Amino acid sequence: MWIGVWLAALGLVLGIALGLNLPFTVPQAYAKYMSVAALAAMDSVFGGIRAAMEEHYDNRIFITGFFSNALLAAGLAFIGERLGIDLYLAAVVAFGVRLFQNLAIIRRHLLK
Amino acid sequence: MSKKSMHLSIVVITMILGVMLAIQFRTNRNMELGVTADRAQEMVAELARLESDNRKFDRDIDDLTFKLEQARKGQTQARDAITDELNKAKMSAGLTPVTGPGIEVVLDNPDSSSGIFIRDEYLLKIANDLKGAGAEAISVNGQRLIATSEIRLAGSFININLDRTEPPFQILAIGNPEKLKSSLEISGGLVDYFRELGIAVKTQTHSSVTIPGYNKDLRYDYAKSVKG
Repeated sequence: MWIGVWLAALGLVLGIALGLNLPFTVPQAYAKYMSVAALAAMDSVFGGIRAAMEEHYDNRIFITGFFSNALLAAGLAFIGERLGIDLYLAAVVAFGVRLFQNLAIIRRHLLK
Repeated sequence: MSKKSMHLSIVVITMILGVMLAIQFRTNRNMELGVTADRAQEMVAELARLESDNRKFDRDIDDLTFKLEQARKGQTQARDAITDELNKAKMSAGLTPVTGPGIEVVLDNPDSSSGIFIRDEYLLKIANDLKGAGAEAISVNGQRLIATSEIRLAGSFININLDRTEPPFQILAIGNPEKLKSSLEISGGLVDYFRELGIAVKTQTHSSVTIPGYNKDLRYDYAKSVKG
């Protein structure tokens, strides 16, 4: 299990290094969707870590959850924008709450 | 599911997450440094509005400059016309010296023994004849004859324009020299008449005589112009 966490940390560092050196940024109009997608992705990763700690990690659920959550969050935000509803707030709240829950559970597992 | 593919997917997915976070971070930082999309649009709209205003004002400037130019031109023309008119009026009034072809007539008293001397009406008659022959300007001994000029005997002198004059009288007139001359020398005319009286008369045509302008103030104490 710990090798998975280390791999995750390695991937994160590589990704951040890569992202900081990419020659483009997201246009400001899409920054909002990108932020929600990033939040969903973070939630998925912490969810994966939690699952790994609870010993029922499933690679397929992890991968599909990662992409579908990110795309769904961005898509909802986009549709909400078109409809004049701040749906991205719903995504932020939902994923934010889950993120903290996951973190709390991870903390408890670590403390055991 | 092999361990290897699981580890690979973990690395790939966390990498994707890292890239997303980094890009989001940079985008956010740019937003704080720069202007927001709304503000940029606002400013672009304002710029377009100001540019169109600017173009309009440029057109206004051109238009007003053109009008000003026209007005200036008109003013100059008006001033020229008024100056022209004033000069014409002065010339008609006899206030300006004039020059042109004309005639010179000199009258002198005969010997005092004859008892004949030049009377004011002789000069008046000559002036009258010259005017009748189309004289445009007349002077007697340097006194320009204008509308208010008098020629009258005052004691032993003849006053012209309130100035005393004495013989010999030199009369200058501008006009057609031949016509002026013949109007005086016509048979039975004034020259004949004066010669019969014994007065010395000399007439001479000149291609150019210069007649001075009226040199006193024109005063109108009683006469007022009638408007309209």
